[in-house]
Amino acid sequence: MKGLNNKILEVDLNHDKFNEVPVPEEILLDYIGGRGLGVKLLSDKLPVNLNPLDPKNLLIFATGPFGGTIVPTNGRFSLVTKSPLTNGIFYSNSGGSFSVVMKRCGYDGILIQGALKEPGYLLIEGGKEIVIKEASRLWGCDTEKTFEELKKLEGNRINSLMIGPAGENLIKIAAIMNDAARAFGRGGVGAVMGSKNLKAIVVKGGDTKIDIDNLDLLKKYVKVAQDKIKVVPITRSSLPLFGTSALVNVINILGMFPINNFQKGFDERATQVSGEEINKKLTQEHEGCYACPIRCGRLTRAGDMKGKGPEYESVWALGPNLGIYDLITVTQANYLCNKYGIDTISCGGSIACAMELQEMGLLKDSSLQFGNSNILKELVKKIALKEDIGAQISEGSRLLSKSYNSEEVAMQVKGLELPAYDPRGAIGHALGYATSNRGGCHLTGYMASLEIFAAPKKIDRFTMAGKPDLLVLKQNQKAIEDSLVICAFAGWALGLDYYARFMKAITGIDYDVVKLLEIGERIYNLERIFNIKEGLSKKDDILPPRFISEPLKEGVSKGHVVPLEKMLEQYYYVRGWDINGFPEPELLKKLGIKHI
Amino acid sequence: MIVEESIYNIFKKVGKHLVRHGYNTSHSGNISIRSGGKIIIKRRAAMLGDLQLEDLVVSNLKEEDSSSLIASTELGVHRAIYLETDAMAVIHAHNPYCVALSLIEDEITCIDAEGFALYKKIPIIDVEIPAGAYYTSIEVPKMLKNYPFVVVRGHGLFAKGMTLEDALQYVTGAEQSAYIRYLTLMTGKPLKRDFSKEKDFSIW
Repeated sequence: MKGLNNKILEVDLNHDKFNEVPVPEEILLDYIGGRGLGVKLLSDKLPVNLNPLDPKNLLIFATGPFGGTIVPTNGRFSLVTKSPLTNGIFYSNSGGSFSVVMKRCGYDGILIQGALKEPGYLLIEGGKEIVIKEASRLWGCDTEKTFEELKKLEGNRINSLMIGPAGENLIKIAAIMNDAARAFGRGGVGAVMGSKNLKAIVVKGGDTKIDIDNLDLLKKYVKVAQDKIKVVPITRSSLPLFGTSALVNVINILGMFPINNFQKGFDERATQVSGEEINKKLTQEHEGCYACPIRCGRLTRAGDMKGKGPEYESVWALGPNLGIYDLITVTQANYLCNKYGIDTISCGGSIACAMELQEMGLLKDSSLQFGNSNILKELVKKIALKEDIGAQISEGSRLLSKSYNSEEVAMQVKGLELPAYDPRGAIGHALGYATSNRGGCHLTGYMASLEIFAAPKKIDRFTMAGKPDLLVLKQNQKAIEDSLVICAFAGWALGLDYYARFMKAITGIDYDVVKLLEIGERIYNLERIFNIKEGLSKKDDILPPRFISEPLKEGVSKGHVVPLEKMLEQYYYVRGWDINGFPEPELLKKLGIKHI
Repeated sequence: MIVEESIYNIFKKVGKHLVRHGYNTSHSGNISIRSGGKIIIKRRAAMLGDLQLEDLVVSNLKEEDSSSLIASTELGVHRAIYLETDAMAVIHAHNPYCVALSLIEDEITCIDAEGFALYKKIPIIDVEIPAGAYYTSIEVPKMLKNYPFVVVRGHGLFAKGMTLEDALQYVTGAEQSAYIRYLTLMTGKPLKRDFSKEKDFSIW
């Protein structure tokens, strides 16, 4: 397929072997690249019921036909693996420039299997060498230090994926950091990399050119797209100015900003950690990923520390969800998560769970009180190093709460801690949490775009009608966006009608919106099948009981709960799944997926 | 399946808007949404500008059912659009300026700022018998795969959206662009600046 190298690099860490493997065109036509390609390869190659930390687990990084072209916001790429946190399929997405260099080195993806005997890092230098180098000196270093050391070893013009101490210690909420301050954050993917004794992956060089079918046509389409990005307020000013933290005040006013482990949905003090405050007090510079005109990233300084962010979810998870409103402490805790290589959302969500257990008198540690900011930074360190109470928290909220026979206080779905939108405030969004293939995730089918941001038009947050249908559309859309690959934020200005035209110009194949959506549907169903084989089922398409039976007590979302059961029934029907959530055979046949 | 009151209110609002602003006559046009794997559509011969709760009919999405006895005549077109495109809501209206221009042009290029930013152009198709579900149900979905709306020459416009309000904006936006174009054509003078040519919307 044009737009791709049509090959991936397979790395066997057990035997120090590297193979260039062609990707059959029929797979690319059916799954495109990025998340779709990763999901297909993982489904085909991974044995069922494998421990995610077994060396046989795979780490698959992949880009798509947009990567490295002139399409705006194409610097993102996907990671697919089996998650130690959810025990199901996991797809994650990150930005920067790594994927562009990987593609210039000649690969659409890197598939890693096996484990090194001693810590090492993988170097891919385009046109020159692929080699495993020893990394015992780097083992134990935080991600900033690791990145510095790698630059000393391999030169400044490198891009690198790496783990920090959290990944080395195999904690279930460890992230893979991307150039030290971006992340494949969620799902404990850092522990998978740690279990392989792989400290880092470095890419550099490369001059492979991407074959574009009709560059002139692509340029015309891209010009129109860039004009649109420039005039839409969210992409023109909100995201560039405030980053994702612009959401703090908006979500708080709607009464769905989770406070103290989702016990409340509003707190006046939230403005103290808002995007406006971050911009005023911490932001030093703005920055963006490769080929991104939006540039939502911010370099910040908080007290005597500096770094990137915090993003909306991070500032919430480490702040108001713990009853903490001290912006400096929250931002520094965010920096520490990046340095240790920890997912900020799961870190905050698991600490919040511990704090509620303490509040209930079950966890005997009086320092773990909502609002106690003094312990936060030390606690992040203890989690990364599995010390004291940190060892329990590092398992994630599901296991933590289970050990106190109080699973109801773990705000998670399928083991993945929920992000910063109380589902009682937007019931379509809530259904998205329950049905996301990777667990409690807001990105898999971002219904908030309709229910909160009126994009393209507002729909009632508390009405059921049409929500399952719209959610299925959004989930399929996101699966294809993650496979092309393009940033979700481009979607505020563009959409599949643009992406179909880009694909047509790049590949020469006559794509339209419907053809792309069918590919998204195929990817989503294959992920579902993977999870079913791993034992996940309707019993896992749930929400914590708090959201079903305890209405919010104040704010403009007061009185609402989530009518999950009724929406779920419709959702399965719309998806073409039976009442137990199994895809019907005729659907799988239509999509070309082998039946279980 | 019971239609929620909030959904009825949206139908009522959109129906009233279409009639009040001249996009439809008293009983013409039809509007629908996709919900729970079914279609909620206006009842046949109901007054679009004064919809009652019982004027909303729930029909099967995939196969024919008895609702076709009372549902809009163009249920088949709506059904085909939902099955073949990403539409979540559909409006069929008889936009006067779109229809007028469709009788003299092969596509309506947007020359106004809003139009070229949002729509670029409004495609026009010919069908053998323009009014009636059968032929339009074959031709209209093909165009709606890549455009938010299409004009059936001499008949009217079909627009899709994520929501009914979204589709309404496409109906009204298309008409605004057609109106501006019509007015400039009426002057007989050349355009001082034609954005559609600068951006080459013919490729779109």
